Amino acid sequence: MSRLRYAATLLILVALIVGALPSSPAKAQAPGPDEKTLVIAQSQDVQSLDPPQVGSRTDDNIVSHMFATLYEIDDFGNIVPFLAKDYRISEDGTEVTFVLNEGLTCHDGEPLTAEDVVYTFKRAADPANGFTGNTPGFVFASVAYKDARVDSELEATIVLERYQSIALGLLSEVHIHCKDSYEKMSLEEAQSNPIGSGPYKFVEWVKDDYLLMEKWDEFTLRDPYFDRIVWRVIPEASTRTAELIAGNVDVITNVPPDQHAAVNASGNASVVPVEGLRRIYVGFNFTDNFQSECADAIKKTEVRVALQYAVDVPTICEALLGVPCERATGLVNKPNDHPDLEPYPYDPAKAEELLDAAGYPRKGDGVRFECTLMAGRNRYLNDVNVVQTICQYLDDIGVKTNCQLMDFRAEFIPLLVNQQAGELFFVGSGGGNWNALYEMADFASENSNPNYGRWSNPEWFNRWRSLSNIRDPQEERKVVLEMLEVFYNDPPWILLYMQPDFYGVSNRLDWQPRRDERVITFNAKLK
Amino acid sequence: MGRYLARRLLQSILVIFGVTLFSFLSLHLAGDPTLLYVNERATDAQIAETRHRLGFDRPLYEQYLAFMGRLVRGDFGKSLVTKTPAMELITTRLPATIELTVFAMLLAITLSIPIGLLAATKRGTPYDGGIMLFAIFGQSMPSFWLGLMLMLYVGLHWKILPISGHVPLLDPLLAGDFKTAIGNIPRALQHLIMPGVTIAMFSLSRNARLIRSSMLEVLALDYVRTARAKGLRERTVIIRHAFRNALIPFVTILGLEFGFLLSGVVVVETVFSWPGVGRLVFNSINQRDIPVVQATVVFFSLLFVGLNLLVDLIYARLDPRIRLG
Amino acid sequence: MAEKTSLAVPAAPPEVIRLQEDVPEASFWRRARHSLLRTRWPILALLILSLVVFLAIFGPQIAPKDPNRITLAARLKPPFERNAQGEMVYILGTDSLGRDVLSRLIYGARISLSVGIVAVGIGGTLGTLLGLTAGYFGGRVDDVIMRLADIQLAFPFILLAIMVLVVLGAGVLNLVLVLGIGQWVTYARIARGETMAQREKEYIEAARSIGASHARIMFRGILPNILAPLIVIASFNVASVILAEASLSFLGLGVPPTVPTWGGMLAESRDQLLANRWWLAVFPGLAIMLTVLSLNILGDWLRDFLDPRLRGTV
Repeated sequence: MSRLRYAATLLILVALIVGALPSSPAKAQAPGPDEKTLVIAQSQDVQSLDPPQVGSRTDDNIVSHMFATLYEIDDFGNIVPFLAKDYRISEDGTEVTFVLNEGLTCHDGEPLTAEDVVYTFKRAADPANGFTGNTPGFVFASVAYKDARVDSELEATIVLERYQSIALGLLSEVHIHCKDSYEKMSLEEAQSNPIGSGPYKFVEWVKDDYLLMEKWDEFTLRDPYFDRIVWRVIPEASTRTAELIAGNVDVITNVPPDQHAAVNASGNASVVPVEGLRRIYVGFNFTDNFQSECADAIKKTEVRVALQYAVDVPTICEALLGVPCERATGLVNKPNDHPDLEPYPYDPAKAEELLDAAGYPRKGDGVRFECTLMAGRNRYLNDVNVVQTICQYLDDIGVKTNCQLMDFRAEFIPLLVNQQAGELFFVGSGGGNWNALYEMADFASENSNPNYGRWSNPEWFNRWRSLSNIRDPQEERKVVLEMLEVFYNDPPWILLYMQPDFYGVSNRLDWQPRRDERVITFNAKLK
Repeated sequence: MGRYLARRLLQSILVIFGVTLFSFLSLHLAGDPTLLYVNERATDAQIAETRHRLGFDRPLYEQYLAFMGRLVRGDFGKSLVTKTPAMELITTRLPATIELTVFAMLLAITLSIPIGLLAATKRGTPYDGGIMLFAIFGQSMPSFWLGLMLMLYVGLHWKILPISGHVPLLDPLLAGDFKTAIGNIPRALQHLIMPGVTIAMFSLSRNARLIRSSMLEVLALDYVRTARAKGLRERTVIIRHAFRNALIPFVTILGLEFGFLLSGVVVVETVFSWPGVGRLVFNSINQRDIPVVQATVVFFSLLFVGLNLLVDLIYARLDPRIRLG
Repeated sequence: MAEKTSLAVPAAPPEVIRLQEDVPEASFWRRARHSLLRTRWPILALLILSLVVFLAIFGPQIAPKDPNRITLAARLKPPFERNAQGEMVYILGTDSLGRDVLSRLIYGARISLSVGIVAVGIGGTLGTLLGLTAGYFGGRVDDVIMRLADIQLAFPFILLAIMVLVVLGAGVLNLVLVLGIGQWVTYARIARGETMAQREKEYIEAARSIGASHARIMFRGILPNILAPLIVIASFNVASVILAEASLSFLGLGVPPTVPTWGGMLAESRDQLLANRWWLAVFPGLAIMLTVLSLNILGDWLRDFLDPRLRGTV
């Protein structure tokens, strides 16, 4: 073979590879922190910047800086005006009318009016668009969204199927965008070309590397300190911590508890613990999908109560989560929880006693019955270790527990939503501190998720249904407290804890993270 | 030569076909992927609607035929997660991965050859022992471990090199911005060193050992002795006579090296936050983003087949006894 | 011409080693012993490996504690620490759940080693059978098997591994299968090449002429004569499988976290690096390194002893 031919073949191969590469505008390196630049590192890259497609925490954090909402839940759980300055609810409670501030515009200069608000809702709800994000997938289903209409230049009405006292808070999760700009774009273009309505304007997104946004000066409703925010993607926890300590990153989320000391000792950054709102629990599976002694046993209230005493939650928090905690008494966060319920104490002797009494004595091998506990991996704080520890606690009182840890998205979720995730399953459910009903909506029906175990206590569900006829907040509160007692006495979960969140924050920064896992930096500044 | 190439091309098509079939089946046989594309709190009706929209309710063979039909037209489909064309997802991340792998391969080759040669020519001396110890060490260290250690010590404690991240080189080059590209070189190299060394370590060690032993083999052969007897300088003997032949097994390994490098890339890109294809592959399989997985699989098998063809051609040049065709 | 494109086709093998029938068993072992005694490193490697195998077999009898016993009160104890009574309860310390590191290492030997050996066993058997068949029958059979090999090769191992483990779920069985299947081509290519060389030998001709069946010729005639290079490859492969298991653990695709393996322990230790809990990384790391090192040294020796032609290829 001649040298020429050889060279030619080589050239063709190289050309093929290079030809496949894009000739996009040149990328740059992720900017570092400076006087007016804030750098935040998250573990995942953005999946979509189109508001109704946004479903993950990481995407929502970014999008929330670029798109404003009608109302907003502030750092302390209050629902406060944002794009809208006022709202009213119709007599029958099915229509919420928002009054917008004047002189709003989107980032391309288009005026933001009631028409745009209605367009935002209709676009998200349109099945032809096939959106699966938080807005159509969770908010609309929860508020029973029906329609939206323009009342006047600045007044838009959202129509619901029925009254919900939590509607306003839920509607505060919908990111508003303008009609003309989004009508011009295909769904595909809208994924990566956000035209926002909030305090920061999109600049560039280098996939799997970073996203850069700049303060948009024409936005007057908020006045954040930083001119630029860089959202870096750093998948490995140790790398995130190292970059924080080295001063290349200002904020990181989910610092592993065992690295707290190293961060605090560095002198460059500290770990800020936050009382998170995510409710971590072990659910009981009430379906007949498993034929086992365990499946029968956990249908009995006495057994489920007995298991509460088996798990030492305060020690789990102290050792594995890195902070002391109080055990949950139900599914509602403070301050909306039931004030008079005492957390179940850790009392293995009592657990054994109750199980003996319930008709499940230890057999010859010391085992009462055998259960399977399934869980996803690396989704919640230190979950792999927490789950294994819970299995050990249950083992200790004679309930032999087979711990199965698997990939969260690919394996666990499909099992969970089909009630196949073992007789026991470990999950965390996002919470809120602005209304008890928002969190109680986990058990809005006997037969649909997120009632993953299909608990069906009529005492609970009859009251739940009665709530849509109650307008008086005090009356509502009374029913809520009764329901929380039902929940406590006939527990569908092994009650655990509200997950603490740990933010690694650079010492140059003056910023208090929120309780609801959202990273919002409008109030961040340099010290 | 022409006939040989034609046959290889035909074989390659067959290979690509088999690869797509395998990946398609393994992604679909494990159950309905729909649940990965809906909200965790979606209702049954929403799930059914999504299933229909994504076409997962059609018979498998129909889905496969539809996929192949598009593939033949060069359409890899769109990501189910981000809705962007799958090929675009790959090509935007490719430059970073090419920078990393080329750098790692250069390291592995340029360092392993002199190291292996040195060990072979100084056989039995402390040089040889030291090199071999290092090589065996390098071969028995998991790459994520080496990467993390480098990051913590060289990056964090000693502050010699940047901890993570990427400075683009190929991107500005492809965009025709030569000034930026050249300006980026020093910082880009700094960012390349730790991930590059981490990937290269295994190959570097193995190749050094291979070169050493095949050199020893060749040095003992008659023609080398003849060359020496002719009074040629030792350097000439080693470089001109022995080395060329010792290189043959080495080149074969290089072809297979590619798949190996890719394995390293997945791990190392995660450790050093490198925005490349390795992480795309891992994430898209994790999210079962079927079109992207398919596209990467086809892409990499094409690359692999191409590289092996190249290796065969180089091989033929090095060893005159081999005639292709 | 495809066969010339890989090194799997060696030149005619040196007769001395090939004709095993002519060499009495005793002299084979004597040569092995001599060769081993001449060099120091392989002996050391063999000693280390024997220790690991011993731990793997008798783990449950030796381990001081239950490797999965979680005791939060005793978490993250450094090694060699004495308690108030002056006893060393946890010789090598405890991990973040208070499990005994030494016991986990001993049980880990069991899992890591069996994963390595079983995976190589699967890959080696499958590959050898296919390679033997391809080389013996040639023609169409050979074509099909070699195309299969090409497909396998064109599918980067990591892609295959991640795909199968994500889709089928991470577990010991799936892991072993994937690691095994990822290896078969190497064995198939070598077995095929060796078989082709053997096929034309006189002793095979002789067997054929007395009417021996294909199976008999393949398994009784050829197989024993092509085993040497396969064994050499296998010894290197066990090492690389142990490393691959560690990498997959890092990606969260190794064995479930409830099962102790060296790779899994090492991967788990990464959150502790910044906190300087060195023992969590150093002990499993040392275990992996020493084992892999020993396997490589032993592989080197086996190669030089059994089949020097492989020098420069493995």
